[in-house]
Amino acid sequence: MKELEKTKQTEWAERIRSLDDPATASKKPEALDDLVVLDLSSRSMAGCFCSSLLAELGAETIRIEPPGGDIVRTYSPNGIMHKETGLAYLQEGRNKYHVTLNLETEEGREMLKSLAGQADILIETYPAGTMDVWGIGYDELCKINPRLIFASLTAFGQFGPESGRSQYDYDNVSQARSGIQYATGEILPEGKTFDEMPHAVPTKAGPWIAWATSGAFAAVGILAALFHRTMTGEGQAIDVATPEAYERFNDYGLHWYGDQGVINERFGNLDACLWLYGFYPTQDGGVFLGGLRLEMWKALVDMLGKWDEWGADEWTTLAPFTKKDWQLKYQAMINPLTSQYTSEELTAKSIDYAKSGRLAPITPVVAEIVPPSKTMQDENWQERGIFTPVQDPIYGSIVCAQAQWKATETPPRTKWVCRPVGYDNGFVYLKYLGYGPVRLKELDEKGVI
Amino acid sequence: MPEAFKDYVKNKFRKPAPLKGLRVLEVCTLLFGPAGPSFLAEMGAEVIKIELPPLGDVTRSLNPFGWFYKEQGPAFMHINPNKYYMALDLHIDLGQQIFKELAAKSDIVEFNLRPGVTSRWNVGYDEIREVNPRIIYIEKNGFGQWGRYAAENRPSNDGAAQALAGYAWISSFPNRPPLKQSVWVCDVFGALMGEVAVLSALHHRNKTGKGQYLEMSQSENIMRAMGWVWPYQQLTGKGAEPAGNRDQCICPADTFLCKDDKFAALAAPAPDEFRGLCTAMGKPVLADDARFADHTTRLQDENAFAILKIIADWARTKTADEIETLGKEHGFAATRLHNARDENEDPHRRERDFVKEIDDPMYGKYVEHELPVMMSKTPPKIKWTVRPVGFDNEFIMAKILGKTQSEINELYRYGVLGKWKDMQGRRPPPDWDQKSGVILRR
Repeated sequence: MKELEKTKQTEWAERIRSLDDPATASKKPEALDDLVVLDLSSRSMAGCFCSSLLAELGAETIRIEPPGGDIVRTYSPNGIMHKETGLAYLQEGRNKYHVTLNLETEEGREMLKSLAGQADILIETYPAGTMDVWGIGYDELCKINPRLIFASLTAFGQFGPESGRSQYDYDNVSQARSGIQYATGEILPEGKTFDEMPHAVPTKAGPWIAWATSGAFAAVGILAALFHRTMTGEGQAIDVATPEAYERFNDYGLHWYGDQGVINERFGNLDACLWLYGFYPTQDGGVFLGGLRLEMWKALVDMLGKWDEWGADEWTTLAPFTKKDWQLKYQAMINPLTSQYTSEELTAKSIDYAKSGRLAPITPVVAEIVPPSKTMQDENWQERGIFTPVQDPIYGSIVCAQAQWKATETPPRTKWVCRPVGYDNGFVYLKYLGYGPVRLKELDEKGVI
Repeated sequence: MPEAFKDYVKNKFRKPAPLKGLRVLEVCTLLFGPAGPSFLAEMGAEVIKIELPPLGDVTRSLNPFGWFYKEQGPAFMHINPNKYYMALDLHIDLGQQIFKELAAKSDIVEFNLRPGVTSRWNVGYDEIREVNPRIIYIEKNGFGQWGRYAAENRPSNDGAAQALAGYAWISSFPNRPPLKQSVWVCDVFGALMGEVAVLSALHHRNKTGKGQYLEMSQSENIMRAMGWVWPYQQLTGKGAEPAGNRDQCICPADTFLCKDDKFAALAAPAPDEFRGLCTAMGKPVLADDARFADHTTRLQDENAFAILKIIADWARTKTADEIETLGKEHGFAATRLHNARDENEDPHRRERDFVKEIDDPMYGKYVEHELPVMMSKTPPKIKWTVRPVGFDNEFIMAKILGKTQSEINELYRYGVLGKWKDMQGRRPPPDWDQKSGVILRR
């Protein structure tokens, strides 16, 4: 019976893979290849991430930078440059055409209006009001092109008492404003100060998750607006504030305070809502341990040899274990036990337990907390196309995460990773404005492009 | 303010929702699954949440340190607004048949089960496509439908995804253990990316009439958001390492401890911002210091640590509020750290209607987040919260499938349809009047 199930499972996996393996993506159609996107993102990777998602789906995406390029091209650890491009932009320049345009000039703004007249979507990240002052805000552009979908991704949104602030949107500042950083981080031990333990403070996530979330919400809004446009022919303006976008991930903090006056505080590597659920130390690093059913928690206790000593036999419900003091008490009891093993040993123990433990096949979830270098080497992700290098004619073979979802008809794909500043001026301005080399030279000399 | 957003909040209910006319079936539990269809529901799609009777979604049991709201799990409420609640046993032939009848009249179906389970339940993509070739069908789970981890049938959850993607590794302070996020980031971000996939498939369907199958992994989606890490590792041969609150790609950008023992975050990479910050610190000459001359130079580790030290020493002499104000005056990004009290009390969030009161027939008034996407012509809106397991069965059966009460009774008799178990989170709240929230009253 088990064998039969196994065979059926393999057949299923092979069937789905034959339909959606990203290795075959280039043979398939693209969902958004009928659309033209203008990306005016300035200083913000939220806008770039948003336009990347559309570009990966085939939209002709024109990235408009000031002459000399946008500062996002310099975002890079330790200032490392690869062919004059920061490593972060090698992720989010993908599939885009890169042109320069000086929006501080009248002529540049007129050119933008012409582009907007022919585009479907415009993405911008200037502080609210900037585009309006330039005369190229939504109120103006919708007169030229009522079908235009105009998305602004900013630090404070387009309206509301703080929206007049002329500050740009940065990921770390938005993480700080979301309420999530406040609740994430190590607990400061009683009697200690932040000066003594500078790591036991509210801690942001390493990746640009506020920007990515803002960009993904904007993409969802844009695609929903596109559906509305298909039905009615009308475009619209979209307003995403990055701190709000990320704050939406906070699933109970708002309500908890609203009802109980409780502020969700840092709880280290445990989870206020869940048990068994946390990170635990091992000899060579750490593991995630999870088991949201009583039996899985008991299985862990058994696996660590504490079934009798801790009285696991008597436990009938998981409920008391999620209480704060119980979580801290048991964490302190588990830590020295998991520390006796390597992460690999502990993972192996859980697999063995599933075969021959007292509660087998029940076993806790054990997942090694790996460095991203190990993630990138993991054959599972490699086989599933996440780290397939992109063969870029200018930047060479570049690894950037892709194939983030699989699709049978219109999978996302990455064709090139980036282009130098102004690389596509010739192509784009000829295609959309009919400007040839003579005109472009004039514009270049005048500082318009 | 642009004309387009004038009186946005006031006129919200004079405008249609963007996804009007779409029907979504959701067979999902926990967070990664249900969060996605909620975004669609907030944008006006008719989302039917199908749970297995009588216990339904596990999230109904989740609670921070024992706090439930009128017996309900607060995370469940946050994750599942604007839906219709149906309890259908998909283990039974007749339940599968009902599901197919509903799917034939739907646009999107969403599952989050282990690989192959939909097929064993006879509601896999092939079976549904047969009754509705236009269907957009997404499955979300730990490792996707194929590959070695999927073949091992490994369980997963958000914490495991944070661990396996390398996300946790680069989210702590240097030389400290990797840190778990306080939110279920891989779940909700993954759910969001899932809707990018679904809505792009919808556009393709509008052009071609063709539906499709999508699969989304809990770990893979978050890797896409990890940016510079992958080319950095490839091109330098080094592993990415954590840097605490310092943004490794932007300088200066960090969180600082202030005079009042509170925290403020700031960022000032562009020349005008950096000069503004130096002026605010009373040290305008720093903007001309060779070590900090341009962004790329400033990012080099020794220069970055030097300028961050200068800022940290200065920040300790100012309150967090003072730093935020100086950011406003001098044109660099700065904020004091916000917490749940700010989320509730900040007038900006309220005036934008991002934080708002819900007036729910069953759960009463409570505070909730609006979808953080303001759309000038088609505003998304949260209207109601969750319902007990199987609460809207009668309405759905009558409205969509035209079932009579005697047919519905028969489905209950066979255990195809079900209602809630008499326990916390599954049944109506204790103060319920036996009628509020019922759509089809007989």
